[in-house]
This record gives sequence, structure tokens and C-alpha cells, in this order.
Amino acid sequence: MKHKSFLLLKVLLLSTGRRNQLKHCADKKKRRRIIGGIVGSVFLYLFLMVYSISVCIGYGYYGLIENAPTMCALIISILSFVLTFLKTNGYLFNFKEYDMLMSLPFRARTIAACKFLYMYLKSLPWYLSISVAMLAGYGFFARPGIAVYLLWLVLSFFLPLIPMLAATFFGFLIAKISAGFRKTNIIQTVLSVAFVLACLSLRFVFEDMLRENKVQQTLQSVSQATDSTARFYPPVGWFTAAVTKLSVPDMLLLAGVSALLFAAVFAIVGSAYRKLNSAIRANAAAKKNRSSTQKQRSAVNAVAFKEFKRFTGSTTYMVNSGIGVILASLFALICCIFGFERIIRLFIHDAPLTVDMLQPAIPFILYFLIGMLATTACSPSLEGKNYWIIQSLPLAKKTVYQGKMLFNLYLTVPFMLFSGICLCVSTKTPLPDTLLYLVLGVVLCAFSTAWGCVCGIRHMRLDWENEVEVIKQGAAVTIYLLPNMLVAMGLTVVSVILGMHMDHKLVAGIFILIAGILALLSYRRVMVLARRSDM
Amino acid sequence: MREQVMLDIRHYSKSYGKNNKAVDDISLQVMSGDIYGFIGHNGAGKSTTIRAVVGVLDFSEGEILIDSHSVKDEPIACKQVTAYIPDNPDLYENLTGLQYLNFIADVFGIDTALRKERITEYAALFEITDALGDPIGSYSHGMKQKVAIISALIHKPKLLVLDEPFVGLDPKATFTLKQIMHSMCQEGTAIFFSTHVLDVAEKLCNKIAIIKHGKIIAAGSMEELTQGHSLEETFLEADQ
Repeated sequence: MKHKSFLLLKVLLLSTGRRNQLKHCADKKKRRRIIGGIVGSVFLYLFLMVYSISVCIGYGYYGLIENAPTMCALIISILSFVLTFLKTNGYLFNFKEYDMLMSLPFRARTIAACKFLYMYLKSLPWYLSISVAMLAGYGFFARPGIAVYLLWLVLSFFLPLIPMLAATFFGFLIAKISAGFRKTNIIQTVLSVAFVLACLSLRFVFEDMLRENKVQQTLQSVSQATDSTARFYPPVGWFTAAVTKLSVPDMLLLAGVSALLFAAVFAIVGSAYRKLNSAIRANAAAKKNRSSTQKQRSAVNAVAFKEFKRFTGSTTYMVNSGIGVILASLFALICCIFGFERIIRLFIHDAPLTVDMLQPAIPFILYFLIGMLATTACSPSLEGKNYWIIQSLPLAKKTVYQGKMLFNLYLTVPFMLFSGICLCVSTKTPLPDTLLYLVLGVVLCAFSTAWGCVCGIRHMRLDWENEVEVIKQGAAVTIYLLPNMLVAMGLTVVSVILGMHMDHKLVAGIFILIAGILALLSYRRVMVLARRSDM
Repeated sequence: MREQVMLDIRHYSKSYGKNNKAVDDISLQVMSGDIYGFIGHNGAGKSTTIRAVVGVLDFSEGEILIDSHSVKDEPIACKQVTAYIPDNPDLYENLTGLQYLNFIADVFGIDTALRKERITEYAALFEITDALGDPIGSYSHGMKQKVAIISALIHKPKLLVLDEPFVGLDPKATFTLKQIMHSMCQEGTAIFFSTHVLDVAEKLCNKIAIIKHGKIIAAGSMEELTQGHSLEETFLEADQ
């Protein structure tokens, strides 16, 4: 008999694998969508590889190529930690086939470990894209022996394991703490966001410490740079030493610690797995909720309220879609308290930019965070199996999508206004400029809402197994998120440059006009798509 | 055939929160060869009991034994001899029916020849043979239920636990399932199932337990309980 863990892992991969879907799908439209998804993923992998090679080329030209292994290990470690933390809840706890799996003769530990390995294998191509690309860059400049290539490739499989296990463990702890409260989802979201913020703050502490050690100078020496990084996170040091010095003990350390940590984490998670899942579900059944007053709403508002309940009903949804507004508000509040200049210097360091020059970028800085993930990009797909409810109601699709967009506006506009006012106060922006920036912020929210909805409708996917698949990995979200973030960064720079040569009010006015037109066009597109799906 | 206690629930209680006792100190025994019906209103505690029996729900009060193994301490030994069919089976939608059945057969270590024979037999009985190559996502509720039933039968369990098994099944499939339950019980399998359909319970079960607000208000053999009345009358009388 095959090992049960292998069987479960195989079926988990098969159940979401595009190849399997393609093999058994007769619907031409669905097949096209699956193939489109594969092509899209390949493009994203290529994009990531190009970015990683560019980093290596940069290092190569400045004679710092020896730092490439450290950088590769760091990028993969940070990415795998953050991404795993944001999806642990959806994958490991409260998933829909929990009853089916738990009633089969699997140990709870086996189920939890297989869910983790599934998560690892699904995200491995991303990390390997970075690693292989950086190895190619490193190979081009450093001309290492064949053993380095082999070791680098083999150890790349281990690199994401320790951060992923750490993220899983923290996710488990948060779920365990939250399970004791009535509003499990809210507490879990608050704790998750607080944890992400704490990690972000650590980044600055870490950076300061490296600065104190005059990292600029030590970067000339591979061993010193490795030592500084390895002091804070040893696996990076092990990887670097293993591939640059062909150190067998370091190689064994990376592999051995990963394996030991895996066993330890799942011994702990497994022992509390059934209890924890039962507790999470028990809160829903505890009947401690009060019936609120019945209130009549318009159809659009009723859909928006439904969206709000869907949002607060899922930790994964709240953390991923809500983190942007929280980060923006905190950033603005901190700037208000400690001064914009002091905070912004942490990001731009010694760049020759004054507060006055940065003022026109305020709406875009906030948009980068607030518009990071519009709920409208995933909410059409999130209907999933409940799609029949919307379909069977006497509602035009136009109303449904208007409701979805309204919820995103309810979520983003107040935060945009609050953060905008805070930042304008902290930068001492004149009142007329402030008003224009606030208008621009709101228009940008409208654009992100409508554009997110276009992506959400065009790439709607209802047959998901786990909501993480549409919130974090869905085609709609990817197509919305990546270009939107890049454009927001680009516009931040462009607005600063324009602001140096033009009146700030004029710059804001131009952007209001452009963003307004784009928002209107996107909204019209939503309406066209809504009409089409009504027919 | 010697009767053997297959399912032994002893003083099982389950609370959701501090003041909401979903199940309160229930005890019952299902012997091999029994078809034991578990009836009660919505929210009476049927599913909470069933989910604890099959090892899905954690509990702290009481003890549940399956084939003399404790659900708490030896969950794998219990699950190895049990099959569970939930009221609304959440199966992997992107697997085909056959892929799913093969997965379950693999988990229970059923060899290729035997699984082929059983899948062929049950798929024909439930008239689902032609659909087994399609993704489960394309199935109707009833078809999913049929796949879940076949997956439960494939390893010939000693204890079959079903939560509202007849919901969504067409009349032919309902008849087939009842026939299968009868023949399994003759072979010594213990069957424990919840239902709202009192007519079915009356014709199918040899034992009944009625649960209300988490407590068993009546339990015993069908004859003892009904005493010449219909099960519906008995249920309504006990419910008052």
C-alpha cells in the first residue's frame, strides 16, 4: 500500500492541478480559461526571472556578485514567509473538505502536514524561478564550478521550508488564540495584521543594525556580508556558505534543520489540530449572537452589506484585502506624530528630495497601499457555490456589481480621506492642494474599484476548492494587483518629477482628470460586462 | 452470527460555548447487524453526535468506542472500520468520480481487482457508471451523494454512519441504498444513521433513538418504542 501521506498529497495536487482539469474538461470556454491561466503563470514566472536576473546583473556590474547567493536566499526567505503567513489560515484550518478528510483513517498530523506540503509544492515554482534566474546571473559573472550549480539547485528546494514552517507556526498560534474568542475571524485578522506590522518594523530595526555595522563597506567582502545577515537569520548564511565554499556542514544544517523543524511543527500542530478546528467551528454554533434590528436597504446597499459580511466572515479575505487600508492609515498616523520627513527618510534614505517636492505624490503613495487589492477583483469569484443565490434573485447583474463596488468604496474612501488629511497635515500642504489631493485620492479609489471589478468579472472563477485560490492566487487578482502596484510606483515618481516643474495644483488636476476618465471607462466596462452576463 | 457492540456511546456531551449544550449526556449502543435510526428536530444534536462518532469533532465529556477502540485515543483504528456519509458531501470537485473513488480505495488499501469489482458493481446499482469519468464539479447533488455512498461502501466497513443519507437521492437510488443497507446488516455491519424521513426509518430500522434538545428522550427496539403505533405518532408523542 502506498504511504497515506503520499496519497493525500497526490490527491490534493490532483484536485487543483490545471493538467487534470484540462484533461477532463469538455467545455471549450473553460478550457480556454485554464490555458489562459497557464500562459499567465508562465509570463509571471518569466517576469520574476527577468527581475531576478536584473538584480544579479546589477550586482555583477558593481563587482558584488559574491553577494548574489545571500540576496537570493534573503528574497526567497522573506517572500515565502510573508506569502505563507497570509494563506496559512485558509489552507490549514477551517477548509471545506475538513469533515471528509478527518473521517478517513488519516492522523490529524498527516492532514496538516500534507496541507503544508501542498502549499509548499504549489509555491515552489515561484521560488525556483527566482533561484534559477539568480543562479544564471551568478554563473555568468562568477563562473563557478559545476558543483555550485548542483548544490544551489538542490538547496533551493530547502530554502523556503524554514520560513514557511515559521509562518505556519505563527499562523497556528494566532488561530489558537483567536479560537477562544467569540469573534474569531476579527481577532484572527487583528492579530495577523499586528504580526505583519511587527515584521515590517523588524525590517527597519534590521536595516538600522546593518547600517551601524557599515554594511556599505562590508559588502565588499562576501564573508562579512554573509556573517551580518547570518547573524539575524542563520539559514541564509548556511545557504551562502554551502554554495560559495561548498561547505558540507552548512548544507547538512540547512537540510537537517528544515527536516527537524518540519517534524517539530507538525507534531505540535497535529496534536491540537482537531481541537482547534472544532473550536473554530464551535464559535459559529455557540448561538451567542444577537439578532440585530431589521432594516430595509436598497438593493445596491443590500448587496454591499452582503459583501461586508462576506469580508468579515473570512480572515484570509480580510487580511489580504484589508491590510492596505490599515498600512496606509498607520503610515499616515505615524507621519502625523513623528513628522513626515523623518518617516519618509526611512524609505528614501539620502535621496535629494524635500517634503515639498514629495507633496504631489501623497495620493499615489496612499493609493499604492489602499489600492493594493480591491475587493472587487476577487468578490465575483468568491461567490463560488453561492453564485446561484445571486443568479436566482430578481437582480440585474448591474445592481450586483454596483453593490460590490459600493462596498469597496465604503472600505477604501474613508481610509483614503483620513490618511490623506493626516499626510497633508504632516507635510503642511496648503489647503487648496490638500482638497485636490483628497479628490484625487477618492477618484483613484473609484478607479481601483471599477478596474478591480472589470478584472474580477473577466476572470471570474467559481469552481475553487479553497478561497485562497481566488484571493491570493486568482488570475483576476494577479492581473489587477501586479500592474496596479507597478503603475502606482511609477506615478509616484512621475508626480514628483512633474511637481518640480509645474504648479502642484495643476499636477493634481491633470491626474484627477486622467484617473477620472479611467474610472469612468472602467465603470462603463463593468456595466457592459454586466449586461452581457444578464443575456 | 454473534452480536457484537460496534458503536458504544457513553455519556457523551458536547457544548458550544459556556451555556449552549448541544448534546447532553447521551448513551447508546449499536450492535453488529443493527440498523439504528437517530431521529430528531433540526438542531436537536444529531449531526453533533455523528461528527463526534466519526472523529471529526473534538469532545471532552464522555467516551465513544467503535469496535472496542476509543475514538479519542485510537482514532485511526476506529476510522479504519468506519465509513461516513455526510448530509452534504464536500468532495474534490476537480477530481473525476473515478479518481475520487480510487483515492478512497488507496487509503483503505483495497487491491486493484477488488476495487474494480466493487466500483463496477455499485456504480451500476446507482446508475452512475457513465458519469464516473467526469469531474465531480459537474455532478448534481444526488450524483455527488451517490459517489460519497460508493466511497463508503468500497471498503466494506464494520460500522456505517450516515447523516441524512436519503436527501437528494432519486427514488431508484433511495431504494437501492435501502437494499444495500439491508444486505450489509445481514452480513453483520452496524448502521447508524440520522433521518427526518420517519417512514423510511420505520421500514428500515430495528432500533431507534429520538433526540430532543441534545437529550435522548426515547430509545430502544422499534417494537418496544412504537407499541403498535406508527413511528410518526410515537415521535410526536415523545416530542410533546
